[in-house]
Amino acid sequence: MMDMLQQFIQGVFGPAWPVVWNLLKIVAVVAPLLLGVAYLTYFERKVIAYMHVRIGPNRVGPLGLIQPIADGLKLLLKEIIVPSGADKWVYLIAPGLAIAPALAAWAVVPFADGLGVANIDASLLYIMAIASMGVYGIILAGWASNSKYAFLGAMRSAAQMVSYEISMGFALVTVLMVSNSLNLTEIVRAQDHGIFAGMGLTFLSWNWLPLLPMFIVYLVSGVAETNRAPFDVVEGESEIVAGHMVEYSGMAFALFFLAEYANMILIAALTSLLFLGGWLSPVGFLPDGFFWLAAKMSFVLFLFLWFRATFPRYRFDQIMRLGWKVFIPVSLVWFTVVGVWMMSPLNIWK
Amino acid sequence: MLTNFVIPDLLPAAPELFILAMACVILIVDLFVKSKARTLTFALTQLTLVGCAAITYMTSTGEITYTFSNMFVDDLMADLLKLFLDLTVIVVLFYARGYIAERVSMAKGEFYVLVLLATLGMMVMISANHLLTLYLGLEMMSLSVYAMVALNRDSTQATEAAMKYFVLGALASGLLLYGISMVYGATGTLEITQVAQALAQGAVNKTILVFGLVFLVAGIAFKLGVVPFHMWIPDVYHGAPTPVTLFIASAPKLAAFAMVIRLLVNGLFFLAPDWQQMLMILAVLSMAIGNLAAIAQTNIKRMLAYSAISHMGFMLLGMVSGVVGGDARFALNAYSSSMFYMVAYVITSVAGFGMILLLARAGFEADSLDDFKGLNKRSPWFASMMMVVMLSMAGIPFFVGFFAKFAVLQAVVAAGYMWLAIAAVLFSLIGAFYYLRVVKLMYFDAPLDETPIAAGFDTKLLLSANGLAVALLGLFPQTLMYLCAVALVRSL
Amino acid sequence: MLENYFPILLFILVGIAIGVLPIVLGWLIAPNRPDAEKLSPYECGFEAFEDARMKFDVRYYLIAILFILFDLEIAFLFPWATIFKEIVNTEAVKWFGFAEMMVFIAILVVGYIYAWVKGALEWE
Repeated sequence: MMDMLQQFIQGVFGPAWPVVWNLLKIVAVVAPLLLGVAYLTYFERKVIAYMHVRIGPNRVGPLGLIQPIADGLKLLLKEIIVPSGADKWVYLIAPGLAIAPALAAWAVVPFADGLGVANIDASLLYIMAIASMGVYGIILAGWASNSKYAFLGAMRSAAQMVSYEISMGFALVTVLMVSNSLNLTEIVRAQDHGIFAGMGLTFLSWNWLPLLPMFIVYLVSGVAETNRAPFDVVEGESEIVAGHMVEYSGMAFALFFLAEYANMILIAALTSLLFLGGWLSPVGFLPDGFFWLAAKMSFVLFLFLWFRATFPRYRFDQIMRLGWKVFIPVSLVWFTVVGVWMMSPLNIWK
Repeated sequence: MLTNFVIPDLLPAAPELFILAMACVILIVDLFVKSKARTLTFALTQLTLVGCAAITYMTSTGEITYTFSNMFVDDLMADLLKLFLDLTVIVVLFYARGYIAERVSMAKGEFYVLVLLATLGMMVMISANHLLTLYLGLEMMSLSVYAMVALNRDSTQATEAAMKYFVLGALASGLLLYGISMVYGATGTLEITQVAQALAQGAVNKTILVFGLVFLVAGIAFKLGVVPFHMWIPDVYHGAPTPVTLFIASAPKLAAFAMVIRLLVNGLFFLAPDWQQMLMILAVLSMAIGNLAAIAQTNIKRMLAYSAISHMGFMLLGMVSGVVGGDARFALNAYSSSMFYMVAYVITSVAGFGMILLLARAGFEADSLDDFKGLNKRSPWFASMMMVVMLSMAGIPFFVGFFAKFAVLQAVVAAGYMWLAIAAVLFSLIGAFYYLRVVKLMYFDAPLDETPIAAGFDTKLLLSANGLAVALLGLFPQTLMYLCAVALVRSL
Repeated sequence: MLENYFPILLFILVGIAIGVLPIVLGWLIAPNRPDAEKLSPYECGFEAFEDARMKFDVRYYLIAILFILFDLEIAFLFPWATIFKEIVNTEAVKWFGFAEMMVFIAILVVGYIYAWVKGALEWE
């Protein structure tokens, strides 16, 4: 029955079938992702509200559940303002440049063993390359807006993002050393072996434990990379208002918003895949599967929100100091430690 | 896969590795040296250079050894040039030390580290057996030197010179890289010995190759500073702090000579008739413009810059006379005469710029011709040293410069370029005018400035030795000539 | 091999489409009634003075240069780290492969210490 159906559909589309099939897969990733983004904003407001002993959104729909949809519709109906003196085309291209890489990076993320849009050997490299494109959107937005706040915000944001990209890169390198592959699927599979995995306690064999300092560096750098609190000085509303997006309104603003949250979810997914065993089940007797990845991502995302509700904002010089003077030495040292560890007879990644 | 990996033999590259390691150490040590004089940094740098020379001497086998997958070669020519290079840099640093210590706005520790890194770059150039290794060394040297020119940050002149040097240097590197890519396109290899082999087998696209050769020669010409790629030389020599000028005017010339040998002789010897034509034009133009423009200068650094252009042109005459009508039997003699010329020029030019540094003191540069007026009354000894240097540069018997010119002219005549030899002699005669003018200023004019010479004892001693070397090598040039000849015979 | 990258190309195109379509949609649906006040740059209610594309701190350049250095270093580490397990398991190149990268890192660290002590990482 299914075979016949598939044959029929293939017959309809003819040679265009691979395109259609891949587009379907992409839609299957992007649609839930955008929905996830929308509800992440809702989740964020609710979580922080409860932490503040408030209620949070509760007017639109039951428990305020329709709130994100309402927000989106409102933004759609708002005028897109192009300020005088702005470089119009760059100004309009910038949000696209911010969101496109945030989405395109998802092309190589595996959701379970063998389940993903593309499975390429250089997937981690691809993510590194695509994710660092995001800074262009921000810096172009700041430049094109012809506003001092936007300009300063963009400069700060760019400096912050590139600074934390270095320690993130070192964290990735150590993961590569113990995984022997750039392929994300292989990196997850490599976490399924080890002494503790043999005892049924797989979660102790995941990379987070032996690479604990790198895990922390990666997680915190991820928060800084996405310009989230407590590293959100680039859009600190009490200081330089909304940073690079101060002049944006309507859908153009919505795209920056989407990009930021899509990046957050991407960082959560990568943290789960690289350090928390991806779709692997934490203990031997439970089956692996996508829901584990979803649970881990939710956990990391919850951490993002928790940080925002807990920590006061860093000053910009403190942010730069943490990136350059703490994280880089820590990652260099742990990189060396892992190297020596693997050279020694105590190597646990045979 | 990994089992095919060959661990390279590090011994041929030991001097380079040593200098690199020490440069890193000195960079860190200097961060914690607070003294203005930077004695510790200076001492460590000199020890490094001495150690490097010692390692070069001890690891020298006289054989041609390749390492790093044939990207690096160690032969007698390389060893000899590296020894000369180390010696030159040691002398340069002794002269430079006082000047650097006295100037407040100068980055001090960085000067020594940059000198070491530039020296490392030159050594890599000298030992390159791969076009990319050559380029790596060249860039390492050039980038260090650009920064050195700008070391005196508060001087607009120095900054301007550094900017010009950097922009033109980047352009020249681009030309060179373009030439390298052409050679790669034509021969399918970047390894210099394999380029030569591919040419010998003949299955190459000659058009592309000659096209690439033009770019290579342009890149070389820029680094040597010969006309029409000489524009940076006067400005950089003039604008850079004098110790940096001293450095640029000496050590890189040796590396540039090695670059000529590696690229044109080791790699593209089969194209000798083609590149000899190009070099001939460059040589004649350099001698003409260098000597004529030097006459008009009032600043001695600028005058010596134009003199350097003319000397490089003269040196190229030797490179031009290697192959005559497909007959390569003159080659060794011609190239060794060029090498001898280069070494002789470096020794002389170090002494010349050393004299400028000797007269300079805090707040006073002594870089005008007038500053040399009446030097004989202030210090007869150093006036005579300066005279020796000037006479040697002019090519007057019996100083080392004379024999250098003589050897090159011999090669030119042997190759049958009578007109070229006559032109060279004529331009040298023109050049003699401005060298002798300095002598006249020193001996027959009244001093403008009666301040006694304030340089340290070591500088005075070394400068005397340097001046005497110019005179003595003129009396006994055979040993040095013989060394150059042997080095080339054993290396080509 | 290359056809594995086809979905990625499609995905990038979809990403760009998602970047463009909402703006076009907003342009069509939303009102568009600009006036001089609305289009003036945001400056807390003041008239904007000076050009917004102003001179900025040279330290941003410094950060950019340092970033390039470190990022290149990481780019060189990637291939090495990917085969590090093989290096460890191949007795012939084990120590050489390890030592070589440590030397590479050591040179980076020298530059890092230099930048640190010279105050390039300060941000007052």
